[in-house]
Amino acid sequence: MTDRTVANVTCLGCGCACDDITVVVKQDRITEARNACALGTAWFGDGIIPAETRVNGRTASLEQALTEGARLLTGAKRPLVFLAGDVSCETQREAVAIADRLHGAIDSLAATAATAVLAAQRRGRAGATLGEIRQRADLVVFWAVDPGARYPRYGARYAVEPRGVATPQGRESRTLIAVDVGDSRGPADADGRVAITPTDEVDGLEVMRAAVQGRVVEDGERFGSLVELARRMTAARYVAIVADGEPALVPVDPARAEALVTLAQALNGPTRCALSTLRGGGNRSGADAVLTWQTGFPYAVDFARGYPSYEPRAGAAALLDGAEIDAALVIGAPATLPEPVAVALARVRSVAIGPRASAATFQPAVAVDTGLAGIHEGGTAFRMDDVPLPLRPSIDGARAALVTVRALRDRLSA
Amino acid sequence: MSTPTRLRIAGGTVYDPANGGGADGVVRDVCIEGDRIVAELPGSAPRLDARGMVVMPGGVDIHAHIAGSSVNHARRLLPEEHAADPVPAPRLDAGAVARSGTGGTLASTFATGYRYAGLGYTTVMEAAVAPLAARHAHAELDDTPIIDAGFFVLLGNDDYLLRQVAAGEGARARDYAAWLLGTTRAYAIKIVNPGGVAVWKGGGGSERRNVSGLDDTLGSSVVTPRKILETLAGAANALALPHPVHIHCNNLGQPGNSATTLESMKALSGQRAHFTHLQFHSYGGAPGKGWASAAREVIEYVNVHAEVSVDVGQVMFGAATTVTADSPVEHLLYASSGRKWVNVDIELESGCGIVPYAYKEKAAVAALQWAVGLELFLLANDPWRVVLSTDHPNGGTFLSYPELIRLLMDRAYRDERLKGVNQKLLAGSALLDGLAREYTLGEIAIITRAGPARLLGLKGKGHLGPGADADVTIYTNEADRAKMFATPRYVIKGGTLVVEDGQLRRAPAGRRLAVRPEYDATVTKDLKRFFDEYACVAFENYGAEPVA
Repeated sequence: MTDRTVANVTCLGCGCACDDITVVVKQDRITEARNACALGTAWFGDGIIPAETRVNGRTASLEQALTEGARLLTGAKRPLVFLAGDVSCETQREAVAIADRLHGAIDSLAATAATAVLAAQRRGRAGATLGEIRQRADLVVFWAVDPGARYPRYGARYAVEPRGVATPQGRESRTLIAVDVGDSRGPADADGRVAITPTDEVDGLEVMRAAVQGRVVEDGERFGSLVELARRMTAARYVAIVADGEPALVPVDPARAEALVTLAQALNGPTRCALSTLRGGGNRSGADAVLTWQTGFPYAVDFARGYPSYEPRAGAAALLDGAEIDAALVIGAPATLPEPVAVALARVRSVAIGPRASAATFQPAVAVDTGLAGIHEGGTAFRMDDVPLPLRPSIDGARAALVTVRALRDRLSA
Repeated sequence: MSTPTRLRIAGGTVYDPANGGGADGVVRDVCIEGDRIVAELPGSAPRLDARGMVVMPGGVDIHAHIAGSSVNHARRLLPEEHAADPVPAPRLDAGAVARSGTGGTLASTFATGYRYAGLGYTTVMEAAVAPLAARHAHAELDDTPIIDAGFFVLLGNDDYLLRQVAAGEGARARDYAAWLLGTTRAYAIKIVNPGGVAVWKGGGGSERRNVSGLDDTLGSSVVTPRKILETLAGAANALALPHPVHIHCNNLGQPGNSATTLESMKALSGQRAHFTHLQFHSYGGAPGKGWASAAREVIEYVNVHAEVSVDVGQVMFGAATTVTADSPVEHLLYASSGRKWVNVDIELESGCGIVPYAYKEKAAVAALQWAVGLELFLLANDPWRVVLSTDHPNGGTFLSYPELIRLLMDRAYRDERLKGVNQKLLAGSALLDGLAREYTLGEIAIITRAGPARLLGLKGKGHLGPGADADVTIYTNEADRAKMFATPRYVIKGGTLVVEDGQLRRAPAGRRLAVRPEYDATVTKDLKRFFDEYACVAFENYGAEPVA
């Protein structure tokens, strides 16, 4: 039993990846995660996790589990690998190697932000790392999102409160505007707000872009408040537009993501602007980065032809629904899986390696529990803006995901 | 053939300019023991019959964009290129597992390693890594097999450095640079558009989007591009880094920028400095008033200043992707080309801009850029200081190096190609007037391996003397130099035969090249205060050192 205090710990509770957490461990339990928000506190928990190893529901040795897992995967005609949350980039790299070896399909939690990813592939991006928004932005426009709910410290650490080199008074140096789109509302304490209906959203963004570019604005009357906002943005020194990249409770027009990118790009003519796309936690941005550097594609990759191909509209859930997939390997915490993927996984025989794999609702044939990256295991994770951060484990004793996945990979290569 | 720990490369024509030999090479044996070149081996050692073949040290790329945050942003932007250029896993010997990937102008990491090795290159420097993303660059290089690689870390638009310049704290700036090189595990200091990126990031409300010359001021009247260059060049030389400061000048790609380039060289007169992708900085004319070649003027300065070294940054016709920390330039390119565009401002440090591009023979500016690069090569007196690059993938990809070598070695071919390009802006250019020079194989060996290795201070690279790293490339001697250099017959990396009969057979991991200069540790106390005040990454989590 070791009591300890670990400083500068990176939290993966959401995509903010706050790295200022101090974790206090007493009698092998996390008793405190200082600086963490409610999401972060829940993510760290008490650090106690199950350490089961099961084959077909029965307790097994790791040896048996890996042997059975390798047998199941190599015997499959059309295996699927899914990168779930709470594993490090180092583990993700091993998992992609397995998919390559198996000539399988691979998808990840990063696919939740598919519309934002696809918009960036069509148009590019006008972006900034979060710290640059903190240093520069004097006008922050929250587009249909209040980060307080899903990204609790986004305002405190990056976009609202902190002082930066060009924002010396912190909150006082910034003007916050909320754009409420139907029920998707911006922060309640914004300095100004504009309300539009969801059906007007994409047209409204186009009208704003026209106004920024000094083009004749049709429907100027109808979108008067947005045109006024566009003028205000044009006159700012550095604009940050904050939008949620993760699925909303209310479905949004897929054209919105592209319209946000092109508006942000256009604002870089008369002034400067960065679009900050909010992403969820669990190191999903790491999965996007690793898949991109190893395969050239950010998600929905298929090695079936012996090389990576990209099927952005046929991700894991669609593949599983197609009945072609006959085995699956889930790397990471099953609890982080998107609901449709978790449901569809129940239809195939699967291997799950990750935090609380043994409790997976899809009942994997082989389940190997591991620790969480960032709590029980080190490595690297990516913040939502692609900034890499080191992970600092605070609790000993859990099985590491990296060595477990590597052991499986070695078996497949033998 | 298995990989022996000993190998005699027998009877080849050896081009080893670092150890003499001249333009025609010398017929001799090259002996390898373990991962080193040795003077002699017993007669019983395994032999590789290289009679009639050309033997050179492994290629050394002094400047390419192959790994890290900016490169990955560019990969993400280009799914169509990757779909069009699949790279199945190579079949390695003894059932060793290789990885598949994709190509295009920015290939996936494994494909990058395989393709460089397949071209006979065994050492590559990634040219621009923001310190904040250093950990990412190392992870990608870990996944880039075969080649030994390092990176240049970006300085010169970073807030902390500019503060030291403003305060006249030269010694602290030097200690900071040394600390940063060590903590990010970098190889050299890179300056991109000194001060210009900081102005771009500063935002609207002023007319300025960039700096336009060496004496523009940034905030404080003492902070100028000139002062940034002097501070960092001085730091690199005082720290006795193996490679001097690596400079991407102000005004990249602008007509008339040769004046800025020459002024930058003069500002560092007498100090070692490397000026990169010189082609993009050697234009005459004036903004809004047309373009011309200023290659002769620029290279004549280089010719008589031994402290200056350059790589050319040749433009090659075909697909390219512009990817640079010089984000204001990319905004101009986006605005003029209408192509898709990525901009990422990197907190307190740097920028990143990306625009996919294609250089066409029929486009006047592209043809001028092509001609300017060739002029720099053909008018250079000292190949040791004017080395080959395309600023991969900005001027073209590294796969175009063989074609570039043919252009340099084969005047008839070059003149034929010249007839096919738009000549509107070439009036009065040296190339159009007729340049008879043809590079020899000895000179090619200098500009593609011996020269860059020496400029990088890599003592074990770029030559085949005893003690050198056993990185050797063996070519079939063919009249078509493009074909010859595109498909080496054998490539040996660190003593391992990686390419055999033109096929990739082994893919060992490469080594990382990094420096760790000493510094006065009191700088870290000041840095810690600066991080606590402004950064949103903990000081303790910054850099690329293992933490757990």
